[in-house]
Amino acid sequence: MNFNKKLSILTLILLAAVAFTLSLSAGESERQSAQAPEVNVSELALEIDQVVAAELKLKGQAQRPQIDDFTFCRRIYLDAIGRIPTIGELDRFIADARSDKRARLIDKLLHSKGYNSHWYNYWADLLRVKDIGDKLHHSGNYSEWIKESVRSNKPYDQMAYELVNASGDLYKPGNGATGFYAREPMPLDHLANSVKTFLGMSIECAQCHNHPYEDWTQQDFYQLAAFTSKTHLRVEPLREEEAKLYAKHRAILKNRDFDEWIVYRESIRVKHAAIYGNGTGYMRLPHDYQYKDGEPHQVMDANVLFGDMPEVSYKVSKEKLQSMSKKQFGPEIGARSAMADWMTSPDNPMFTKATVNRLWHSIMGSELVGQLGGLTQEEMGAHPALTEKLISIMQVSQYDTKLFLSALFNSRAYQSQALALTTTPPPYILDGPIVRRLPAEVLVDSFLSLKTPTPDKYVATKFRWDGFTHFYDKSKDMTAKDFVDYSVSGPGRQEFQNREEREAMKRNGQMGPKALWRVSTFGRNYKNHWLAMLMGKSNRELIDDATLEPNIPQILFMMNGLEAPEDTLIKRKLSQATTKPEKMTTLWKAILSRMPKESEKVLFENEPDDILWALINSNEFRFSK
Amino acid sequence: MDRRDFIYRVGMTGASLPFLNATAASEQAAAQAKSVIYIFLSGGLSQYDSFNVEVDNPVLGKSKIINSNTDGIRVSHYYPKLAQQMDKLLVLNAMKTNQGAHPAGTYKMLTSYNPRATVTHPELGAWVNKSLTTQQDSLPNFVSIGSGRSGTAGFFPGQWSALPVKNPSQGIDFAKRDPSIGGDTFKKRLNILDSLNSDFQGKYGARDTQSYIDTYSGALKFMNSADIDAFELNREDPNIVKLYNKSDFSRSCLLAGRLVERGVRFVKVNLGGWDYHDDIYGRMPSNANKLDSGLSSLLTHLTQKGLLDSTLVVVSTEFGRKPEVNPNVGRDHHPDGFTCLMAGAGVKAGQIYGSTSKDGVYADEGIVDVTDFNATIAWRMGIDPGLEENSASGRPFTLANRGEARPELFI
Repeated sequence: MNFNKKLSILTLILLAAVAFTLSLSAGESERQSAQAPEVNVSELALEIDQVVAAELKLKGQAQRPQIDDFTFCRRIYLDAIGRIPTIGELDRFIADARSDKRARLIDKLLHSKGYNSHWYNYWADLLRVKDIGDKLHHSGNYSEWIKESVRSNKPYDQMAYELVNASGDLYKPGNGATGFYAREPMPLDHLANSVKTFLGMSIECAQCHNHPYEDWTQQDFYQLAAFTSKTHLRVEPLREEEAKLYAKHRAILKNRDFDEWIVYRESIRVKHAAIYGNGTGYMRLPHDYQYKDGEPHQVMDANVLFGDMPEVSYKVSKEKLQSMSKKQFGPEIGARSAMADWMTSPDNPMFTKATVNRLWHSIMGSELVGQLGGLTQEEMGAHPALTEKLISIMQVSQYDTKLFLSALFNSRAYQSQALALTTTPPPYILDGPIVRRLPAEVLVDSFLSLKTPTPDKYVATKFRWDGFTHFYDKSKDMTAKDFVDYSVSGPGRQEFQNREEREAMKRNGQMGPKALWRVSTFGRNYKNHWLAMLMGKSNRELIDDATLEPNIPQILFMMNGLEAPEDTLIKRKLSQATTKPEKMTTLWKAILSRMPKESEKVLFENEPDDILWALINSNEFRFSK
Repeated sequence: MDRRDFIYRVGMTGASLPFLNATAASEQAAAQAKSVIYIFLSGGLSQYDSFNVEVDNPVLGKSKIINSNTDGIRVSHYYPKLAQQMDKLLVLNAMKTNQGAHPAGTYKMLTSYNPRATVTHPELGAWVNKSLTTQQDSLPNFVSIGSGRSGTAGFFPGQWSALPVKNPSQGIDFAKRDPSIGGDTFKKRLNILDSLNSDFQGKYGARDTQSYIDTYSGALKFMNSADIDAFELNREDPNIVKLYNKSDFSRSCLLAGRLVERGVRFVKVNLGGWDYHDDIYGRMPSNANKLDSGLSSLLTHLTQKGLLDSTLVVVSTEFGRKPEVNPNVGRDHHPDGFTCLMAGAGVKAGQIYGSTSKDGVYADEGIVDVTDFNATIAWRMGIDPGLEENSASGRPFTLANRGEARPELFI
């Protein structure tokens, strides 16, 4: 169960050095060459516990009680794979007599399809994969890229680097990282969001004016933006290709048949839509720049917000560019990859701090350092030594998130009783999980654990095509004439997208009945998941936009809208149970993942259906403890 | 907690009191609109096939001009019923937006802001909800009827978003007990739930868990409330019901009128499908007929009930459509010079305000920006259009962006 990989600190340092001295265009492959770490998870867990124990001792607090196997089983299923255990999964774990069964379960779940489903939801929220969007900003490929990154357990720093440095065709299978840029058209907003996503800092104020209560100035913002200058989504073919290949027929079709012209335009776009621009290293202050330290339209060269400036090789001097038209931003020099290196480097203190802050929050329910998207450079949280420890574990793990999670899950801190956050003492000192509501997707996927013994069965194990990636794939060999044929005698304007979607679905093969899909499988092609939305799922317009708050429509659904058809797992289990106490025990185990307490046995006199309703509506079901 | 209290309380759980500017509002003489019915035509209404026919003839496509019941106002023949109600309507023919794509245009129209990736802005209805809700209110003050964008609270707490009613004939989703569950059984279930929750609360109770317990009692009160019948159209006076036809949009208008009568402040009614890039004259008439019937019934309804003086009815859309009919016999998007309507609450009814150039290409005189449009609605409700609120990260935003109210649109 250990992650027996080889660690080379030296490689890490070398890599960082290389990344910071060279402006690497092939940064990804350099990063991948880092050898995998050899670390012992239980030792890491122990290190966490030692830091926590020291703080408890210092504050004169007792250690929280450890949780029993039932509570552990429910908790680890929720946190590792995003749903409650089925009754069978619970029974099997309880019956397991091996002394290391918890560690075994952690390892099993981290390598299961359920993990891929749950953590896709997590990253898709952070990276704001829109389920529904404009046609050409369609997110299918982006979504698949994240799924593949989770499946292959791509190191998080590499994942972040690939996103920030993404370029090329939008619909090329495997190139879905481009969706990160394609999802929003405004480059400055995008930059502010990248900083919030990867560095956990809020600098968007500085986009329009000096930050009111922090050090960031509008110039700082523009200097950072200079790295990415001229990065953009272009959906039409480049001018030369257009002239050489497409222009003639475009004109003919436009004058002849509007529908054919539209199909021609749209199908060519699917082939050619791409993220262009690798950064010029220059930006100009806005036309309404209001401060004394610069002029409107003044050229700014690239600079990072803090830390060492990576090397950028300019081809044109700042003075020269300043003398040119204010529309000029200079030639592309690959400055964006230099920023990606800086942003996602282990040497960037904010990158790792923001990452552990987020992951701790997801697992323990509390902020380790501070506001997920509003950290400051100095901030180290209520327990700085713990923050430092987790940062070092993340670095030693080389951003292997599974390994990091495994260390957390195996800690005594994680496996201790959850605390309800109230104002009464003792104060919470980050010594374990807090009581919190299940995220929307987890709540909805937990219904699935009551429906079927195999809730993760239909989670994808490989790339899934959609109409766009499918057509892109077909278009590899299409000549300009083929595009004309497709537009004139193909499926037609009303049908062509539908047909490509259908063909893509066929290519994907059996995906199982939608009623048994986990929320992560839904998406643009399968419509948004209304129930998850009702439960507070993020619509992914903004970072951290999911909500855990109740509202009346949600509760009305829970009271009057949930159905338990006869052919579901829970109903079958109920009918197999012969005595009333057996039926009741079944319900408690299936829904709350525990045995009924002595004090609850008075409820046994009720009808099973009434108990079923009450348990699903109970706070214990929707909260994690 | 009585029923007048619950919507308020439930929404308030864990949050601070809303910013109540009712005092400030009453000081403004303009607070004549107690409620707003906001009809949103998503997709982009063709102004030249509806209420802006004072342009060169070719611009009108297949629309024919008909006279209305009001001197000086002519409309397209697709709106024969509204033609007989133009004395109640103010036509704004020089509306302007800076957005030409649907999502951005809709967002701008409803929030006054351009969409940004770092913040979501509250819709006008959410501003109204947050500003005017008091403890005495028994129904939510922002209700969104029909499919489409359902009324987001943006960076406000979720309690200020719209209560969605997807299907006007069915009322609030899941507001009725499953008929196979008897009242006694339901009561028994609730007792079990209570005992489970109080046990859990003892050990793990916190603000969030309490908030769920409160929302359950709120939802139960709602289910049992005398006010829930506001959402039940079959309780309406048959003489009012018969004013309307059976289309969903007409039913939505009926519901909106009913809710306004109960004091709901802002009711949004969605009618989509206006994006006719092709075959506009084949596909548009049925939709035009829906709007024509529903809105004219609503105006009659409000008049009969004596509610039109205190209710501002507006019809808006994200942008208009081009003066030329394209080769596909459709019209493409056109943000510069489109048409919106207002009625009630002392608006200068029976008039046209603003015009486009005769070739229909641009807004010419009496231009009203969409932010001004929203500012005017707020002002008429007695809310300062410059009302400022901070987003979560502390950025200040105002109700109508930089829009300014246009008192000249009212008597």
